[in-house]
Amino acid sequence: MRRFTIFALLVFVLAVGGLFALGPSGTQRAQTSFLGMIAPFLKTGSDLERKITAVRQGLKTLQELETENQQLAVSNKKFLAENQTLRGLEAENNRLRAAMHYRERAVFQLVPARVIARDASSWWNTIKIDRGSADGLESDMPVLTESGLVGKTTTVAEHAATVVLISDENCKVASSIEGTREQGIISGERASGTSQPALCMRFLSKTANLKPEQKVYSSGVGGVFPAGVFIGVIKEFRVRELDGYATLLPAVDLTTLEDVFVVLGKK
Amino acid sequence: MIRFFLILLLAAFGAIIMQYFIPALPFLSGARVILLPLVFFFGALALPFSGMLALAFACGLMWDALTVQVLDIGMGPTSATVVEIAMGWSIVLYAVLGAIMSGFRPLFQRGRWEIHCLMSGFCTSFMVLAEYLMISVRRAALYNVPFEFNRDIWWRIGGPGLVALILAPAVFFFLKSMAALVGYNPYVVEPQEEEV
Repeated sequence: MRRFTIFALLVFVLAVGGLFALGPSGTQRAQTSFLGMIAPFLKTGSDLERKITAVRQGLKTLQELETENQQLAVSNKKFLAENQTLRGLEAENNRLRAAMHYRERAVFQLVPARVIARDASSWWNTIKIDRGSADGLESDMPVLTESGLVGKTTTVAEHAATVVLISDENCKVASSIEGTREQGIISGERASGTSQPALCMRFLSKTANLKPEQKVYSSGVGGVFPAGVFIGVIKEFRVRELDGYATLLPAVDLTTLEDVFVVLGKK
Repeated sequence: MIRFFLILLLAAFGAIIMQYFIPALPFLSGARVILLPLVFFFGALALPFSGMLALAFACGLMWDALTVQVLDIGMGPTSATVVEIAMGWSIVLYAVLGAIMSGFRPLFQRGRWEIHCLMSGFCTSFMVLAEYLMISVRRAALYNVPFEFNRDIWWRIGGPGLVALILAPAVFFFLKSMAALVGYNPYVVEPQEEEV
């Protein structure tokens, strides 16, 4: 073998050995640096993608735009009115809770974020968002939309972060089923053939009498996800040798996510 | 050669970014379009062995930096932070497949472009299969979940290979013209150095 090839092979083995020796913190540091490096490119690509989509879908006549504008103005007034009512109800609720010596219900501080890229690998379900440590994000923060739970942050760079979706097998959420005392652990499937991935709920009791369309919420156990966030509805329940097992339809369409909220903490 | 190596590095970086904007293919059970191996396998044929190793390191490192997951497992006093698959495994995979591709270099140097096309398809699927086997073994140890192979999983393994097979000629001729642009001739056989 040629001398230079042997030297190159030695350097290669040493470099790979060095990478294998990286612990979790070293791995995350390397991932954060690379995510920070590619984030501007992903943002530019995402902007370009949005502009192209907008041009394709947004060619409307002046009359259509006027009608849409009027509808939006009406919706806006309706939401403002609803918001006012809900604020009143929230204050009343908190006052009554205080009177009953309940703890004031936590209202979370949310940071809006835009999805700039979806995972390109075959076995992991993650997205990249345009908010990072500069916006107060850290790893293991819950991510949701107005429809329900999306996942949690993992690698956080300065202006971008990776979110592992609830449809990933590695994202586990302690959850409970509406109207029952059943609790279980939700995670994604390793590979799902359908466009909308299903979730599975394990460790339910074998006697659980669950019916399709029953709602599932996060239970708050584990400390990462707050309690009471809507996750999805039961699709099917079956009894296995040791536990009950349910498949769920996620509340959020994880394949078309565009805007999400990161839960920073209590207000 | 260095200029062409830098072009390949840029192409690999571009391929990684582009991959993020190509949606999964619903008619292939959600299989992904993976462009990075196409660039790497061209480099494995066009560069000498040492250049292939350097490219394998760069491509594997970029891939691992974006896909490796650091997990918190367990709760309370038994909780621990672990790396699902250590960073570096993709580099080893790229290097092993690149070494096999290097074996076909004499054929490539005789102008057989279809070597890149066929091997890219096969090796891309092999990489996805190897990833699947690694995460399956790891998750079986972490969560005690069973090992499974169903139709969807086979499509997710075979799909990227099929797509690579179709895209490979375009990537081949693009990178070949880039090589010509920087004055690198990938078909030239290097003079033999002193053997040890």
